[in-house]
Amino acid sequence: MHEIGVREVMQVESLGLNFNIETLEMTWLVMAIVILIAWLATRNLKMVPTGWQNVLEIAITGLHGQMDGMMGKKNRQLLAPFIVSLFLFLLVSNLIGLVPTLASPTNDLNTTLGLALLVIVMVHALGLQRRGLEYIGHFFKPTPVFVVINVIEEIAKPITLAFRLFGNILAGEILIIILLEIAKWWIIPSVCWLAFSIFIGCIQAFVFTMLSTAYFSISMKTPEEEE
Amino acid sequence: MITINSTLIAQILNFLILVFILKKLAYKPVVRMLKARQDRIQESLDKADAEAAEADKTLAEYKEQLASARIKAQEIIDNANKRAQQEREDSIQQTKHEIERMRTAAKAEIARDRERAQEQIKSEIVTLSLLAASKVIGAQIDEKSNEKIVTDFVEKLDKDKIGDLTC
Repeated sequence: MHEIGVREVMQVESLGLNFNIETLEMTWLVMAIVILIAWLATRNLKMVPTGWQNVLEIAITGLHGQMDGMMGKKNRQLLAPFIVSLFLFLLVSNLIGLVPTLASPTNDLNTTLGLALLVIVMVHALGLQRRGLEYIGHFFKPTPVFVVINVIEEIAKPITLAFRLFGNILAGEILIIILLEIAKWWIIPSVCWLAFSIFIGCIQAFVFTMLSTAYFSISMKTPEEEE
Repeated sequence: MITINSTLIAQILNFLILVFILKKLAYKPVVRMLKARQDRIQESLDKADAEAAEADKTLAEYKEQLASARIKAQEIIDNANKRAQQEREDSIQQTKHEIERMRTAAKAEIARDRERAQEQIKSEIVTLSLLAASKVIGAQIDEKSNEKIVTDFVEKLDKDKIGDLTC
């Protein structure tokens, strides 16, 4: 067992870049699994769905339902591929860490913060594109003093998004290791925690996805649509 | 333990690549399939509704036709009954006429026979009377005038209705 939190770093000296090699490898593995599932589900699409096609259709229609309620059909069509990919990626990422010798990409803050920043940048970009100056103006409402609170809130969004997921997954994996260390021959707590980690992995993937959707819907809603 | 480095950028790029691939590979075909299925179900439901309406209409039509056919059949039966009744009456009437005609014919025949018999008897009587008269007189008047006398006599008898001989 390597020391918790200490990561193997690959340095690209010429460009001054440092990469966490395990995180990248695991991310590629997760991407491969997600693409494999997608391929299995869509290689033989049928009017009467079977097997993986059902799984993917349930995921897509479920997320569509959530998004329709939050942001309306038009915005949903634009963002659904992103949100569905986000959910599938996070779900597989969270669960892959429970396999011995593998680790979740989401136990690295670089992954979660990267995704959170991507979401927040897209949120603001789409808000500006949809609402223009009115979007900037809404930070100064109801009085200009509120800009401080609004800015803090906007900064808090990606941070809470990133740390919630990162903390949950990393804590889960650390506890798996610790439980095995302190009670080597008593596996019941370890098994229970593993089961709970599956639950947490699903829930956290869903929470991250739904919060992103909520942020998107808030920023893209014009005042007319709100009424 | 918490170090932010270039991995962050790499992860963003990784994820964007994944989004691109998934959108092309999975999302669009699945959504297309969902839409196709929805359309198909809608179409099937519409078709089923239309067919049910059509079936209702056809049933109503059949019922109507059946009712009119029943009325027509009743009419035909009534007509046939009436005609049969008519024919029977006609035939009875005809038979009655026939009987009447035959009876009249028989009566005429009988009357004719009787007349003939009378004629015969008359001529017989004349002959017999002549014979008797010639015997009584003893003299033979020429036959012709004799016959005339007797015939006149007999005619006269007929006219006066002497005796029980009725014509």
